[in-house]
Amino acid sequence: MPIQSGVLLISLVLMAVVAGFFISAVRASRKPDTGAPREAVRTRFIYALLAVGVIVTAVSLRPWPHAISAANGPSATVNVTGAMWYWEIDRATVPLGVPVTFNARTTDVTHGFGVMDSQDRLLFQTQAMPGYVNQVEHVFRQPGVYRVVCMEYCGVAHHAMTNEFTVAAAN
Amino acid sequence: MMDNNSAQRLPGPQAGAVKFTMLLAGVVLLLMMIFGFVMRAAQGNLIDLDPAMFYQLLTAHGAGMVGTAGLTGAAILWYFMGRYVPLARGVFWAFLGLFLLGVVLILGAIFIGGYGGAWTFLFPLPANSGGVWGTDAAAAFLLGYVAIGVAFLLLYLEVGRKLIAAYGGIGGALAWPLVMSKGAAENAPPPAVVAAMATTIFNTIGTVVGAAVLASSLVNLYFPEFKVDALLAKNMIYFFGHVFINASIYMAVIAVYEIIPEYTGTPWKTSRIFAVAWSLVLLFVMAVYPHHLLQDTVMPAWSLAMGQIVSYLSGIPLLTVTAFSLIVYLRKADAMRWDLASALLVLGVAGWSVGSVPAIIDGMISVNKVMHNTQWVPGHFHIYLILGEVAMAFGFMMWLIGKPEHKAAGGFNWAAFSAYVLGGTGFTLMFLVSGALSVPRRWAVHAPEWVLQSQIATGFALLVIVGAAMFVLRYLLGLKHSAGR
Ligand code: HEM
Ligand SMILES: [Cu+2]
Repeated sequence: MPIQSGVLLISLVLMAVVAGFFISAVRASRKPDTGAPREAVRTRFIYALLAVGVIVTAVSLRPWPHAISAANGPSATVNVTGAMWYWEIDRATVPLGVPVTFNARTTDVTHGFGVMDSQDRLLFQTQAMPGYVNQVEHVFRQPGVYRVVCMEYCGVAHHAMTNEFTVAAAN
Repeated sequence: MMDNNSAQRLPGPQAGAVKFTMLLAGVVLLLMMIFGFVMRAAQGNLIDLDPAMFYQLLTAHGAGMVGTAGLTGAAILWYFMGRYVPLARGVFWAFLGLFLLGVVLILGAIFIGGYGGAWTFLFPLPANSGGVWGTDAAAAFLLGYVAIGVAFLLLYLEVGRKLIAAYGGIGGALAWPLVMSKGAAENAPPPAVVAAMATTIFNTIGTVVGAAVLASSLVNLYFPEFKVDALLAKNMIYFFGHVFINASIYMAVIAVYEIIPEYTGTPWKTSRIFAVAWSLVLLFVMAVYPHHLLQDTVMPAWSLAMGQIVSYLSGIPLLTVTAFSLIVYLRKADAMRWDLASALLVLGVAGWSVGSVPAIIDGMISVNKVMHNTQWVPGHFHIYLILGEVAMAFGFMMWLIGKPEHKAAGGFNWAAFSAYVLGGTGFTLMFLVSGALSVPRRWAVHAPEWVLQSQIATGFALLVIVGAAMFVLRYLLGLKHSAGR
């Protein structure tokens, strides 16, 4: 399951839970003695949210999501440069199964370097900003053609700013 | 002391000016919603729209909606602070005049000058349009923002100094004695004052930072040798943008604190936890903004981690204090009176709370990597804007006109409310679905496989507009009715 589907599912469930509390409170608002939660419940709620927060933070920030693995072992580097309104990529083929570091640059305004798989699922992205080089690393698991799109609004042809590259097993 | 019923009749010090402002806001909201409808219809291939026009509409909708949200929040703040401190009437008119001057400049920049650099004016896009708009159009847009910024600073200066004078300093107005367990809850300022003081502080800071980046961008427009650091500019823009749009919600919730007690019969009191929550909000609103820069890997790692963590923490005061207390008050009520005003105000808090879920999840760096700048983002913020801030603003409007509640009105109101909630829910869910399918935001042209969601969303958008138009109509009739009395 792509991460996006999991995120959607979890969000919808939690949103429904929050909405449910309001709906049941609205229902109870016209009836006497429906038992409002006491202050102790609030305190427990706060501690529960804090506890969940600590766990989620620890799990989601380790390993650091933007980590660039020090190139011990095979790896590759790709330089991409955004310009109004096209992407320049310094290699047409990218190796499969090894960490690939993308250096994202721009020659004019800010662009967003995003890579989509053959199902048009966004795999990762980073900003391409004047004067800076943003790095992002990814390990491709499937050979094939990947589409590069622009993920930061950059003017009238922003949506048309696409390119592609091929991922193939390195010999 | 007056009881709640007579308090309802007590006009704010500038009820007329506020009513007029809310009428303007209602009409602008409708117009901007129509712009949004046109954009979504274009993404759904239902109409043929030139991309340049799409991006102009996007810019107008973004700036217009954020501005109107701020305007309604400010009107609510002003109205209710007038109950507690004497405010200089001229300040509100100066605020409104400057605000409208800004609107004229912005609309001119977009629809005469062709400016389409989005409401976020991300440096250096305004200066570098690829030949679509000129320097003067960009400058008019930025100057429009400056006018609106000055308007807000004026308003906050007046509210801030009066609150500080009346409540013994910033700490007094924020109920700090209660936070430190030094004062009694009975002596604490009312919730509306605490909220007003907190928003006054953080939005003043936000606006000043915004003014600084606007000024640099303006100078750079005409003197390109004056270099602006793109990363610094981006930090300042998102700081300002985040604080400003949040301030509009935090100002609007004052209406909930002030009006809902009239319906439940229980006053909303400043408790210790309430005071703590608002001091934390003051901090969190400003510390959280790096969650807009999670894909700028050159940012210091600690700042991105802070963005993720504070993004989560920000949900806690909202859920455990404002939402929790509202739920307690509703449950405690034996015979809550439901009308359009109370329903919309409760909806506002519910929508805000629900919308915080997908927002917080997107604030995680690993999720953000695949959700940032997809339609997930307009998905979550339209929830807490359409079903949150704007619902509170409409609720305030309905309360302002009082309640001519005959049977026919009940049916009309219920139809309007249902259309608005159903439309808003469907419309925002379609954005979330599109986001989960990796549809990028701010794309004038969509791939064929994305078109269906846009088409369904367009239908829901129409429902929102019908509901909102009915609210505005009800408000207009109510104004006429109350003027005739
Ligand atoms: C009928 C109601 C509405 C419709 C149909 C609508 C539609 C849209 C659409 C289609 C977009 C662009 C989505 C994209 O990036 O692909 C958008 C963006 C936006 N909307 Fe709305 N919207 C509505 C109500 C609101 C309200 C009530 C607010 C705020 C009070 C709001 C604030 C915004 C903002 C800030 C943006 C971002 C603009 C940008 O990306 O530069 N919208 N809306
Ligand atoms: Cu772009």
